[in-house]
Amino acid sequence: MNHRRLSLIVTLLALCALPVRAQKTPAHPDPEVVEEMDEYAVVQVYDPIEPVNRVMFKFNDGLYDYVLRPVSKGYTRVVPAPARRGIGNFFDNLRFPIRFVNCLLQGKFARAGRETEKFYVNTIAGLGGFIRISDDVPALTAVPREDTGQTFGVWHIGKGPYLVLPVLGPGTVRDSVGAVGDYFLNPLHWDPKHNIDGYGWEADTGVAATDVVNALPDLLNTYDAPRKDAIDPYIAVRSAYIQYRDAAVKQ
Amino acid sequence: MNPRSFLPFACAASAFAAAAALAVAAEPAVEAHEMLKSAVDEVLAIAYDGQTATTPLALRVRPALEKYFNFATITRRAIGPGWRQFTPEQQARATTLFTDLVIRTYADRFEVGNRPGITYSKAVIPDATKPMLRELPTTIDYAGKKYSVIYRVEQAGDSWRVYDVIIEGVSMIANWRSQLDPIFQKGGAPAVIASLEKNLAQPVVK
Repeated sequence: MNHRRLSLIVTLLALCALPVRAQKTPAHPDPEVVEEMDEYAVVQVYDPIEPVNRVMFKFNDGLYDYVLRPVSKGYTRVVPAPARRGIGNFFDNLRFPIRFVNCLLQGKFARAGRETEKFYVNTIAGLGGFIRISDDVPALTAVPREDTGQTFGVWHIGKGPYLVLPVLGPGTVRDSVGAVGDYFLNPLHWDPKHNIDGYGWEADTGVAATDVVNALPDLLNTYDAPRKDAIDPYIAVRSAYIQYRDAAVKQ
Repeated sequence: MNPRSFLPFACAASAFAAAAALAVAAEPAVEAHEMLKSAVDEVLAIAYDGQTATTPLALRVRPALEKYFNFATITRRAIGPGWRQFTPEQQARATTLFTDLVIRTYADRFEVGNRPGITYSKAVIPDATKPMLRELPTTIDYAGKKYSVIYRVEQAGDSWRVYDVIIEGVSMIANWRSQLDPIFQKGGAPAVIASLEKNLAQPVVK
């Protein structure tokens, strides 16, 4: 994706996000319907374009079933699990700036330090990040991951409307804008690498495709978990997504 | 969508199924973990050591789940405030159907060969005004990844039973309620029961 297109997306998303600060998710449901001592009646989702989202959800389901799932299956058949794990670890390690910068933006300096330590341990002792050595260091095993969408949450910016984006799936306006921030913080999208001899668009595309395809099996499993056997898969995925992101912001 | 797993139900399911025999504990916060460990071991043994058994896993694991999970509470909370408008017969029917659905759904999540490892953290009393409730945080190590899973348990007579499982911040009860409550709002108890029956009549999605 070139920068001009990205700028357009950022502008559009930012426009969508304008009312987000003012918008508030309904704080409490009708007291009449809240069961006493019941903490479960509070999950509210602002979904003003639900009919459109449902259409997109169906479209994505078809896309996942007929395009991405076969690709994912083929990939897992060809590439053995240890290799997939190593590649996943490598790209995850590479995304260190996203986590580090967002730790700082949230004022979580100790966590930023642990992220840095983790990055160095995995890069140096873990063969460039392919082996996640940090899992053997108790202090580094459970460092909560930060991203730009979470930073906006910590800054008390509202989620905005729930969105189902083509291909990308569930999100909110806040997280979609946050994803743009993450895009720029990801070293894979930094320019200096183009100064490397022989690194052209072909290599760029190959690296990006490897990152995406390698992550597909996990992403699809994650997506399927709430969706499978659900009574209303759309609502099941929406609820899971909102809960997951709320928990991530609180961490 | 955030690329990180927001819902690793599949891997955590084994531990969910295993969750917690927090039985007969005079000092529940202390003894809960020992009991949870025993229960986890018991259910994982059914799921993984008996992989050659011909009986479907949902049937084999059911007695253990019914022993350690309070399905009546789970159903009531999953349906939400509308539960009070169910007749006793409708409540019994909904509980039976929902129990079947939950056991079928999660038994299906066990995967051959991928036995999860579980570590236990200190029990938490989530609300001092509700001493009958505990949260038991665990970390599940599954297929090279670690997931946070919290078991919510409540005292039931002289024992403890699981009433919710929260995987990476996602509550099973809250998720089911988000689906069932709108159905109740539209069509009342008959609609909820019909939706459960319809779902159970469909084959398990692989």
